Amino acid sequence: MNCPHCKNPMIILELGDVETDYCTVCEGIWLDAGELELLIEDSTAKTELLSSFQLIQHIKEKNIKCPICNTKMEKIYVGKEDKVIIDECKHGHGIWFDKGEILKVIKMGSVNQQNDIINLLTEMYENKIYPTNKEEG
Amino acid sequence: MWEIIRANKRKSLALFIGMGTVLLLLGYLIGGYIFGQEGAPLGVIGAAGLWLILSVISYFSGSKIILGISKAKKISKEDHPRLFNVVEEMTIAAGLPEMPDIYIINEPAPNAFATGIKPENSAVAVTTGLLAMLNRDELQGVIAHELGHIKNRDVLLMTFAGVMLGSIIMISDIFVRGMFYSGHSTDRYRNRSSRENNPAQAVFLILAILFAVLSPVLAQILYFAISRKREYLADASAARFTRYPEGLASALEKLANNTYPLRTANRVTAAFYIVNPLHNKINDLTSTHPPIQERIRILRSMMHGAGFAEYQKAFNKIKRTKKRIIPNSVLSKDKNVSLKTQTGEHPTAGKMKVKRNLGDLMMTFNNYVFVPCACGLKIKVPPTYKNNRVKCPKCGRIHTLPDKRGKL
Repeated sequence: MNCPHCKNPMIILELGDVETDYCTVCEGIWLDAGELELLIEDSTAKTELLSSFQLIQHIKEKNIKCPICNTKMEKIYVGKEDKVIIDECKHGHGIWFDKGEILKVIKMGSVNQQNDIINLLTEMYENKIYPTNKEEG
Repeated sequence: MWEIIRANKRKSLALFIGMGTVLLLLGYLIGGYIFGQEGAPLGVIGAAGLWLILSVISYFSGSKIILGISKAKKISKEDHPRLFNVVEEMTIAAGLPEMPDIYIINEPAPNAFATGIKPENSAVAVTTGLLAMLNRDELQGVIAHELGHIKNRDVLLMTFAGVMLGSIIMISDIFVRGMFYSGHSTDRYRNRSSRENNPAQAVFLILAILFAVLSPVLAQILYFAISRKREYLADASAARFTRYPEGLASALEKLANNTYPLRTANRVTAAFYIVNPLHNKINDLTSTHPPIQERIRILRSMMHGAGFAEYQKAFNKIKRTKKRIIPNSVLSKDKNVSLKTQTGEHPTAGKMKVKRNLGDLMMTFNNYVFVPCACGLKIKVPPTYKNNRVKCPKCGRIHTLPDKRGKL
């Protein structure tokens, strides 16, 4: 699958039980339908998060196309106070998260802010202190 | 078993002949228009010839074509032992002379089909979605249903009927389009007076156009009628082979609740699948399969055994008809088989893991490279990825990808 943003082929990362598509150029992440639900532990915060999805009619953010059906995706507000804008496919194929957006969304929907998936995403997007750039064979 | 096959053939033969008549009549009318009244038989020969040629092609490579269209990949025992074992078991239960080849289609929509003209060179194909969704009992039910199609020689008939439907659609399409785009220009070169002197030609023209528009619809209705009939029989066979009707019933229930449309199905191949992949909501007349809820209810009301008689009884009770789907000669000979109890495997246990393993299997087939990073992150790189190095997004280590990829 190609990145909907920069059209590069994406690589697949295993986040816990879920396989996500990750773009090495823009660092965005694509989740297939139903995968976001699997990434977040069940809680009231999760239900609230999932019900907070709200369609935005007009916004000046670049439109992107669903990598599966190639139709224009909808811009969606997620969350109550700190809103994050994500792109969701009209036909329900999945959701696109620009760099770091997925971490914010998952944190919003989780009670426990310290689990494997959040830690992994934090390391990917926030604490970018790479030890050394040694090459590995 | 032979009586079933024969009765099956006889009933479907009438519908099959009906379709043939539609094809030949179409040929006759178009021939009559193009070559005049005496040329009409030429059209009949042309239409029959086209069907014959396509039939010969599909007889010798039908399975390959349909498996190719569906992008199915052949697997061996090591690739998916559970599926392989189930097919092995059901081959023995069905008494097939040889085990069919097993194919997997990489599709999230759960579905399955069987192909192959003869039981000796048949194949079953299932989607990855089906494997991820069903437990062993349910999978067994679905596979038994498919082997039921092979055993009852349904595939042979459906292949020829499918080809006939294809020929009819093709001829009428070419004719109607031809008329549409060249209708006026041909008049200019023809002797107008000769046409006026020949009212038969005008009649042929009107009838040919009318029939060209109607025949695909007519043929489709007949085609679907043939295919629906055989679904019940395959369900009855599945119940008998597995001795556990609940397995197939619960599998059908899961398939009915599925919302993914199948990406690789089309009008002709639809009839081959266990549930209709096209989600045709319009009406029952044009659906390839009997209503799924009805099939489930019939299977679930088989209380006293898993034999054909029990299925017939349940069928009559649910449908409220006295129609026979299984011939009496078979019912009198067939001994009732007792029901098996559930094996007790939990369907949801390790569901994600099953899905993951399947996904990995399909990725290996498609030349993905698996890179386990030292930090614990697992990375899978598609063959289309251009760079030969990939940086771990978590720890920043750079992995060099094996050379093999570059040549693909």
